Amino acid sequence: MKKKKIRYLILTLLGLALIIGFVTYKKVINPEHRDIYTETTAFTLSAKELHSHFLENPEDATLKYVNKVVETYGTVTEIETNLVVLEDKVHANLLEDNKQRIIVDDILKIKGRCIGFDEILLSVKIDQTTTVKIN
Amino acid sequence: MKNNITTFITVDRKTLLFSFTLLLMNLFVFSLFAQQKYIDKSGYIKFEASEKLFEPVEANNESVTAVLNADNGEFASLALITAFRFKNSLMEEHFNENYIESETYPKAVFRGKLLNFDHSSLSDTPKEFEVDGKLELHGKEKQVKTIVSLQKLDGAIVMKGDFIVAPSDFDIEIPSIVKNKIAKAVKVSINFNLKS
Repeated sequence: MKKKKIRYLILTLLGLALIIGFVTYKKVINPEHRDIYTETTAFTLSAKELHSHFLENPEDATLKYVNKVVETYGTVTEIETNLVVLEDKVHANLLEDNKQRIIVDDILKIKGRCIGFDEILLSVKIDQTTTVKIN
Repeated sequence: MKNNITTFITVDRKTLLFSFTLLLMNLFVFSLFAQQKYIDKSGYIKFEASEKLFEPVEANNESVTAVLNADNGEFASLALITAFRFKNSLMEEHFNENYIESETYPKAVFRGKLLNFDHSSLSDTPKEFEVDGKLELHGKEKQVKTIVSLQKLDGAIVMKGDFIVAPSDFDIEIPSIVKNKIAKAVKVSINFNLKS
């Protein structure tokens, strides 16, 4: 009787250790990547506003917006398979290739992660973008 | 009457001069626009600093900007650091926060030139060119010399190549605890599809 109890105890402890090990691995050592699409938006503003913040004060804007989930909107000025440009001021890399069949002159709202200001294109860049067509 | 004619002629001369200047200005502006610039707005860069037997240390960036001036071979590229994606999200976090400090130094910029570049020599078979330029990263600048291959496909210029840099060149400190898991020589590969 006593032997059986000890055996159960050891088995339970082993099981617990396995679960704890697995959870630690999943959460601490190799956690999942962020899912920008399901994350709550930190900032919503027009493409022009976002762009002017970066132009006026690049350091502050970098600290404020970079690596944050932003929603921004404006007229589409350029579209490629995996890239959409709003107002010539925001370049966004699409998570999935132009699923919504966006065309130039569409008014578009996008959600993605702001990655910073590109001084060659003079444009704000966003990645992992999903789109919502407005008209 | 005579006076009138002279006035007329002077005016005419002035107009002529004016038109000529306009023409010159037009030519100048036109030649500026005629500069053939090829751009990739979502270029690809990968870096690898893996050591054998340890977890691979590598990251991709798919939103790199690259510009080539096809008239003289001048080349520039900009990569935003936050856009580098690692397989392991924790590694990505450490890379941004502890090593490369992307909040303070949000980008990596290369400016240089393709030596002996001749646009007309490009074809669908890859041709190699030497690149010489400066890479600015983590607040430091370092000369980079490498070979890239260029080929023309569907009117676009495809540029591929790689080069080696060391974290120490850019004052990036790697803590001793992970020192043998991260290679001292980091291999950076590029792949740009430059469109006019």
